Amino acid sequence: MSISTATLDRPRKLRLFGERQRFMLLLILPAALGLVLFQVLPILTGANASFRDWSLHDPKMTWVGLKHYFYVLSDGGFLGVVLPNTLAFMGVSVAASLLLGLGLAMVLNRQFPGRAVLQTILLLPLMVAPVVAAIMIRWIFNDQFGVVNAFLDLLGLPGQAWLAQRWTAFAVILFADIWLWTPWFALLLLAGLQSLPREPFEAAAIDGASPWRVFRYLTLPMLRSVMVVCIVIRAIDAFRTFDIVWTITAGGPARSTELFSVYAYMEAFQAMNFARGSAAAMIGAAIIVVLAMVIFRVLNRWVEVSK
Amino acid sequence: MTAAALPLARPPRKGFFAALAPGGARVLFALVVVGVAFLFAFPVLWLGLTSLRPASGVYFVHRGTEFTLHNYVEALAQPGMLTAFFNSFAISTLATVLSLGVTVTSGYMLSRFRGPVPSAWFSIIYVLRCVPYISWVLPLFFVTRQLGIFDTYWGLLLPHVAVHICFFSWIMKGFFDGIDPSMEYAALIDGCTRWGAFFRVALPSAVPGLTALAILCWLYTWNEFLFALLLTSHRTPILTVVMAQFVHELGMEWHLMSATAIMALVPALIVTVFGQKYVIRGLRI
Repeated sequence: MSISTATLDRPRKLRLFGERQRFMLLLILPAALGLVLFQVLPILTGANASFRDWSLHDPKMTWVGLKHYFYVLSDGGFLGVVLPNTLAFMGVSVAASLLLGLGLAMVLNRQFPGRAVLQTILLLPLMVAPVVAAIMIRWIFNDQFGVVNAFLDLLGLPGQAWLAQRWTAFAVILFADIWLWTPWFALLLLAGLQSLPREPFEAAAIDGASPWRVFRYLTLPMLRSVMVVCIVIRAIDAFRTFDIVWTITAGGPARSTELFSVYAYMEAFQAMNFARGSAAAMIGAAIIVVLAMVIFRVLNRWVEVSK
Repeated sequence: MTAAALPLARPPRKGFFAALAPGGARVLFALVVVGVAFLFAFPVLWLGLTSLRPASGVYFVHRGTEFTLHNYVEALAQPGMLTAFFNSFAISTLATVLSLGVTVTSGYMLSRFRGPVPSAWFSIIYVLRCVPYISWVLPLFFVTRQLGIFDTYWGLLLPHVAVHICFFSWIMKGFFDGIDPSMEYAALIDGCTRWGAFFRVALPSAVPGLTALAILCWLYTWNEFLFALLLTSHRTPILTVVMAQFVHELGMEWHLMSATAIMALVPALIVTVFGQKYVIRGLRI
């Protein structure tokens, strides 16, 4: 902090600067306190653990350096299954809920009878506890008692063991995640749509522009900055998804649908190696910090170019 | 709202569907909308149907015709159920109030000041936002034990507030960015303190945004599971944990789980029905 240099350089400004600085620090003090106690402290505990031998037969918890990191980074399962799964999950989930959410927001932005009811129905996924929704979706796709197979049976199609095959299980997880998060996108994009200025749209209407052209050349460019924020926030969350996957497949069958949070959890609790789980979580955090920054930069450039 | 509402608008060009069947586009639109709405509502509909079936009929929900309300009575009679409802409600409400109180100042600071301190604070928030839950929820268990607040209101409340700090500060910054600071400068020049300018000028303009976030925060906390699972035990039962425990490897009590879930849905539904217009009005980021 530059308080001391400011004292030397500009004695007259000192008091103002100090007062301003104090105000700024007071404003963030409660938040910073909360973060330190309940986020930084636990993260440091986990980080500390990731450098140690945490197994039960070593009560001293010997410092082992980067051993766990090397282990995770050379684990074929992590590189070959978990990482591609996580990235694919993130990409598909964010893209699909963005497109669906945008479509729904466009529909909800119009006036038609039953609009309010439709909006409430579409927000249902936000109201149900995700864990209950995930349990319910697991049940709906159950191979013996699930309604999806019963429906397929009715149509004369063979039922699938949805959660026992890698790709169908992955699709079910994706379906659940998209279902849960589309309303969130729709809500934010609808708020964005309703805050757009009306004049350009009126001008376009007078000029007789087709709905597609209005959407392509007016709505989309004006919504871009909202979309960028939504995408970055959602991408970070999708990357670290845990509960849905854990409830629906628990990473199975045969650890083939593991995302990296599930991998970290499995290493920590199933394989009873808290240190290795922490190392995996740290690696994941590092990846998403960089990745989110790249996404943000790229998308921001896209916004700038479009202006 | 846009083109169709204007009297000057030209009639839309006739497309393929319009030529094929007059009004066909409208029918198609209605069909698609109903289909999508059905798809979105389906898991919840299924939950509702399951909750009305007797315990033995749960496995053949689509075939039975026998319905009962007994599941609700039985679910409510479970030990700890009413406490769980009360706890969830209290935690969600308190967490909402505290999170907003803590983050509104932080967001204001991010929006109104430039320099090393705000940018450092923003980087910290950004990085912490990216850290996966898994890597800090597990140690959080040890931390709350150390602080002696495990399985109490505080032990769940404060971590919940901490979760929201990063995201909400980010969003709040957006709210304040959208409010013209010149009124605050005017207040400062007229002799108002910085705190006065914040509380009397900036804060009232941010109320729509705050309302929107409050509604989302309440819904999120009401439905949150992972923290509740790890940070509470018998003394502080939380609704989502109680629901999940009905469906265990040992006993699959689908009927009780779904009945409780439907009851838990009611407050959330009330909040959403009355709150959605404030959310849409307030969430301008």
